[in-house]
Amino acid sequence: MRLRSIRLTPYLFIAPFFAVFGAFGLYPLIYALQLSFMHWRGGSQARWVGFDNYLFLLTNSDFWASLGNSAVMWLLIVPIQLVAGLGGAVLLADAKLRLRGLFRVAFIAPFVTPIVAMAQVWIVVFDQDYGLVNYLLNLVGLPDVGWLTSTAWSKPTLALLFLWKTTGFAIIILLAGLQAVPGGVYEAASLDGASRWRQFWSITVPLVRRSMAFLVVIQTLAVFQMFAEPHVVTEGGPYGSTTTAGLYLYEHITASDLGTGAANSFLLVLLVFGLSLVSVRMLRPKDGVS
Amino acid sequence: MSQNRPGLAQYALLTLLAIVFLYPIWWAVSSSLKPAAEIIASPLSIGELTLDNYRAMFADVPIGTGFLNTGLVLLLKGGMTMVFCPLAGYAFAKFDFPLKNLLFGVVLLTLMLPTLVLIIPLLLEMSALGWVNTYQALILPGSIDAFSIFWMRQTIAAIPDELIDAGRVDGAGEFGIFYKVVLPVIRPGLAALAVLTTMNIYNDFVWPVVAVNDTAHQTLQVVLSTLAQNITGNRIGADFATVWGELLAAGSIAMLPLLVIFVLLQRHFINGILAGSVKG
Repeated sequence: MRLRSIRLTPYLFIAPFFAVFGAFGLYPLIYALQLSFMHWRGGSQARWVGFDNYLFLLTNSDFWASLGNSAVMWLLIVPIQLVAGLGGAVLLADAKLRLRGLFRVAFIAPFVTPIVAMAQVWIVVFDQDYGLVNYLLNLVGLPDVGWLTSTAWSKPTLALLFLWKTTGFAIIILLAGLQAVPGGVYEAASLDGASRWRQFWSITVPLVRRSMAFLVVIQTLAVFQMFAEPHVVTEGGPYGSTTTAGLYLYEHITASDLGTGAANSFLLVLLVFGLSLVSVRMLRPKDGVS
Repeated sequence: MSQNRPGLAQYALLTLLAIVFLYPIWWAVSSSLKPAAEIIASPLSIGELTLDNYRAMFADVPIGTGFLNTGLVLLLKGGMTMVFCPLAGYAFAKFDFPLKNLLFGVVLLTLMLPTLVLIIPLLLEMSALGWVNTYQALILPGSIDAFSIFWMRQTIAAIPDELIDAGRVDGAGEFGIFYKVVLPVIRPGLAALAVLTTMNIYNDFVWPVVAVNDTAHQTLQVVLSTLAQNITGNRIGADFATVWGELLAAGSIAMLPLLVIFVLLQRHFINGILAGSVKG
């Protein structure tokens, strides 16, 4: 009896997860796959169309434009965040640093703020006619910039919001990697006459490679799914310049074009997985370094 | 580099970074307390303080309903996370059972599933169940999440087996051991899980905005976004000053609860992220 209850116990403990996942994860996933091969628009009868939805998307310029927008956002965000995150982490890693806790709190505070609330602040701060940023530019004699109204600036302005909000998180993740470096390693390197720069490239960077790869993967997922920022701040405009892959997918929902939407989401997942794999491979430690 | 004493340049850089991160929050909160016209006329100075923006905002949007709905979802969805994820983590960390590795593999795989793939079929599932515009739609999907289980497993795996065996010798049942031995030991990890879960649920936007379209069930973030959209939708003719005052007031009041929780529990929170992340 006792033995039997022990055998059942672990299954009972994990059962709730599998119940919830089955009902609201696996089932919708299979449903989505089926849906992606069907034409279903508005109230019309659903019918099987094979790969038509996929073909439609792959030959549709709006789809490619949304991927392009997300790719530009990725380029504007991920490399800058890696460099800034590593810089911040190196500055904070010092055990003798005073006010360390205070700095950590300051850096990660934006990560805690609701994105919708900060998106609203961005609307006010970057307004072309009355916003704070243009007010400051005018003070030093520079002309107004259409931060959210020109196609050239809309993406960088949204990327800045994303960077502001998540770079503190990147700093903490990289700090975790840095703290795994035994202090003696640097002293030994100093004794061997290695310069600080050399120590940075030969000790610090290889040791945080895995944390960097982790960051690249989760930020790739986040950037290609980016939704709240463009939805609230620009509604995808001006001229579709901030219609990210995530926002474009949402447009299928508002247009009740669910078959195409499902196909779009699978294409997006394939792309994100591919990008993540490539990033991880590029950041994988070279032979000989752990 | 870490053996050198931190220099002035390092403090200067850190302070500069801290200002960059904190200034937008400070500006939003301080501006929300200024007379509306001043936000546009003199965005940098703070003179007279007033609650007018807050009064106008409370009159215009059902932000109280938003807070109540978010609170309810937090309590129930967060409660499910806090009860079931440590239990599952305990099973994966301390029990041996057939198919364990396969089942844990499924948990890890679901970690990589982007929310976006599920949105459309989940929405259809909700309408088939008649759950659109209901609390269950907001609460049940994702209520027992893979990340929390994975992270609880890591935390519980660090407990020495001897401690658990000692409980068994004392004759406690498996659930008794979990409750009396495991939970007290992982209290810091639970605190961090609570903060992370609160943050995720409180800030969640994509699913609530899709699953709910009536005012009665909107969560705080959805209420906020409709405010912004009404404003950008009616740009022409809108009185910018008033509207911005309301936007900043709504944003500030939405930020406040999380910022307070975060400042109070920041040590747990940051250590939680540190522990849950991949170490170099």
